[in-house]
Amino acid sequence: MKRLLAVIKVKGIQFIITTSFTLVTVLVMLFVGVMLYGKFAQTAEQNAYLHTQQILEQVKYNLDSYLNGMTQIFELVDDKIRRSKGLTSDKLSEQLETILETRKDIVSIAVFTRDGTLLATTPSKVLRNNTRLTEQSWFQKAIEDPTNLSFSLPHIQNLFKGEYTWVVSMSREILLHGPDEEIPAVLLVDVNFKEIDELCQRVGLGKKGYVYIIDLVGNIVYHPQQQLIYAGLKNENRSLPLKHSYGSYVEETQDEARLITIKTIDQLGWKIIGVSYMDEIVTTKKEISRFIFWLLIFVIVIVLFVLHYLSAKISRPIKLLERSMEKVEQGDFSESEPIRGSHEVEQLSLRFHLMVAKVRELMHQIIREQEAKRKSELEVLQAQINPHFLYNTLNSVVRMVGNGKNEDVITTITSLSKLFRISLSRGKNIITVREELEHVRHYLIIQKMRYKQKFEYEIVVENEDEVLNCLTLKLLLQPIVENAIYHGIEHLADPGWIRIFAALIDGKVLLQVSDNGLGMSPDVLAQVKAGFYKSEEGSGVGIQNVQERIRLTFGEQYGLEIASEQEEGTIVRVWIPRQVAEERDRL
Amino acid sequence: MTAAGKRFSVYGLVALVAVTLFYSCSASLTNVEVDKKKTVALIVRMKHGDYWRTVKLGAEMAAKEYERNLNFYAPDYEEDAQRQMELVHQAIADGSETIVVAPSDEQVLREAIKLTRERAIPILVLDTDGKDSAVKSYIGTDNYDMGKKAFEKMVYLIGKKGQIALLGTNRVKENAKRREQGVLDLLPREMQVELVANENVPSDKKQIGEWTRELIRKHPQLKGVIALDATTAIGVAEEMENSGLRDNVKIVAIDSPLEVLEYLQEGIISATIIQKPLSMGYLGVKYAVEASDGEAVPSLVDTGTKVIDRENMFWSENQKLLFPFVK
Repeated sequence: MKRLLAVIKVKGIQFIITTSFTLVTVLVMLFVGVMLYGKFAQTAEQNAYLHTQQILEQVKYNLDSYLNGMTQIFELVDDKIRRSKGLTSDKLSEQLETILETRKDIVSIAVFTRDGTLLATTPSKVLRNNTRLTEQSWFQKAIEDPTNLSFSLPHIQNLFKGEYTWVVSMSREILLHGPDEEIPAVLLVDVNFKEIDELCQRVGLGKKGYVYIIDLVGNIVYHPQQQLIYAGLKNENRSLPLKHSYGSYVEETQDEARLITIKTIDQLGWKIIGVSYMDEIVTTKKEISRFIFWLLIFVIVIVLFVLHYLSAKISRPIKLLERSMEKVEQGDFSESEPIRGSHEVEQLSLRFHLMVAKVRELMHQIIREQEAKRKSELEVLQAQINPHFLYNTLNSVVRMVGNGKNEDVITTITSLSKLFRISLSRGKNIITVREELEHVRHYLIIQKMRYKQKFEYEIVVENEDEVLNCLTLKLLLQPIVENAIYHGIEHLADPGWIRIFAALIDGKVLLQVSDNGLGMSPDVLAQVKAGFYKSEEGSGVGIQNVQERIRLTFGEQYGLEIASEQEEGTIVRVWIPRQVAEERDRL
Repeated sequence: MTAAGKRFSVYGLVALVAVTLFYSCSASLTNVEVDKKKTVALIVRMKHGDYWRTVKLGAEMAAKEYERNLNFYAPDYEEDAQRQMELVHQAIADGSETIVVAPSDEQVLREAIKLTRERAIPILVLDTDGKDSAVKSYIGTDNYDMGKKAFEKMVYLIGKKGQIALLGTNRVKENAKRREQGVLDLLPREMQVELVANENVPSDKKQIGEWTRELIRKHPQLKGVIALDATTAIGVAEEMENSGLRDNVKIVAIDSPLEVLEYLQEGIISATIIQKPLSMGYLGVKYAVEASDGEAVPSLVDTGTKVIDRENMFWSENQKLLFPFVK
């Protein structure tokens, strides 16, 4: 589990982008899906209602026009009979034959007396025995209600020999021209039920839905499962259609819900009832919901892929950057490939690489400086106990002793001892300007002894109180003075002079050594400035050493300035910062 | 091609495959619905005749109600057991989920049971008595009860007194035997009713006429004839009409072909005991569907009989039974 979490990186950009976008997508899709489903389902349901209504309207229209046609034929037959002289006239039977021929769905036309005796029939057929026609509903209705045309329920016509046919009987009383008066009789036109049956059978409402027809009191005119109902295997609840004449109703039983749509044929009072099964309407809903479900899954999968790609595209360079940072963290400053990716990340990477390069450069610089510092310190250390200088000095002392110049010996030895004391100065690097000047003064005293008063020197300090207490590196001036003596004064024919001047200028401390020595040619001067020129003699602590030490300790803006003119002399200015020694140090 | 381009095309390919899958899925969803409709095979004894057509009508009603396909198999002639055997094989080969069969003989039934057992297909039997446990349900008429009803009606018609005859063709058939048994079992109860003849007559109409004439010559006091099948009843009725004995001898018939109904209305045949082939077909398919869905179905279903006479034959509920087809 932990490993899995580690792989997934719950806080990673990739994970955050993927999950959050997926969440948003799912929410949006769910919202849209629910909305769509609701709308679709509603529309589907409404369409189903409307569809049923339309179908029933069509059935009603067809039945209506069919029955109207039949009514017209009945009236036509009635008219023909009324106009003809007698029922037995050839002309009448010819006319009726013609009607029968044109309308194949009329089974028979017959006229009966009010007591049920057959007067005439077309086509002429033999009446069966035991017809009980006076008990039949069409006959009774014609007697009861002589003025209105009545339609019977579909029934088997058992009047004439031949096939038994399902018919709807149209009947009404008519008046026949008798010898004296008009005789009432019953006209029967039997219409084959097949037409209506087929019309209704063709109507389908969904897979299981159907249409049935009942009369005013609930008797079944047509039902696709009429036999099953009579056999008791099925039951059709006719209470709803009996109550209502029009409209759609949902009928719920414990097994199923059905949509009952009712229309009435006004002419007969027959009701056409459409039965559609709600679960089929719901099936449409289910299909819609299944479609939306798959769409959702599909979109989520696609979105996941896209997000995976996108987030990888975003987070991969960041990961690479992180890795290269890690490398740097572990101390590997080596140059690495710039990272490709989005603009921001590329910029970030670029800046990072620049930064690393800078750090790398700085580190190299520090290393270089540290090495230089150590080297120059070593050189200073050597200068402190310069054996060559000591040897020369002691030689001079011996000579003085040989010449009996005790005063000079004392001066020299005293200066030497002071010189070393300041030189060592308890291992400190930083000393006051006062001590530095003291040091150089003792050095000058010793050198003056050695060179037999060949030169004069003076040390001038401006603004003494402040300058003398400033801090400086030790042994700054001695190498410069040494150079002045060895390269400037020593080979001079005239008496030389060396002037040391200390002052505060522009907040910096200036220590200046000037001489009237040989000076340097511009070439040599340039070499000295560049730090290439190395003299063979002297303490070995060169100008370059001084310059480096100052810069390493105080910074680039401090250091040496050298001006020289051949045959005129040389001026070396040493600039150091103004740092006042603390009271405690001075003590 | 660069690595990024390659990756891009891989993603594109995945998306394309997903889209294709999605559409093929949603397309196949709608197709599956149609194919999923299972098939019930109904194998009967004869293609023609109102009786079997009514069975088929009932079966179609059930098939529509339970949303199944119905495959109807029938030989051209009723006694063609050989052809029916072939049809059983064909029905199995057509991949029916259930078989509903009205076997012509024992051999056909045994073959059907064997074939369906091999494939674990439920089998239901119509219009045949039996007790095989492999058969999920026997659906049909209680022929014994039919015989009893015929006898009772006859006893009522002759006023519980007099000579009667029992005639039938194909008396060897199981159904006819059961009907006869029903009659014979009730006979001892009626002390004044005498069975003067119990004959197996040939199925030819002319010969039946001769047999009938002979019967009446031998037994002039004959009050009634119970015909154990429709063919016999029609032959006897024709003879009675021709010989003018229509009012003296009552005829009780079985089943309701058109001629029987015409004689019934004319009063030559006094009554007929009808079966309910529509219920048979309907219940056959209904229980077949339920059996294939793994539901328990009754092992024996009596679809019922009804006594029809001149009085009630045009009652509206009987009209649909006697005249199932709108022609």
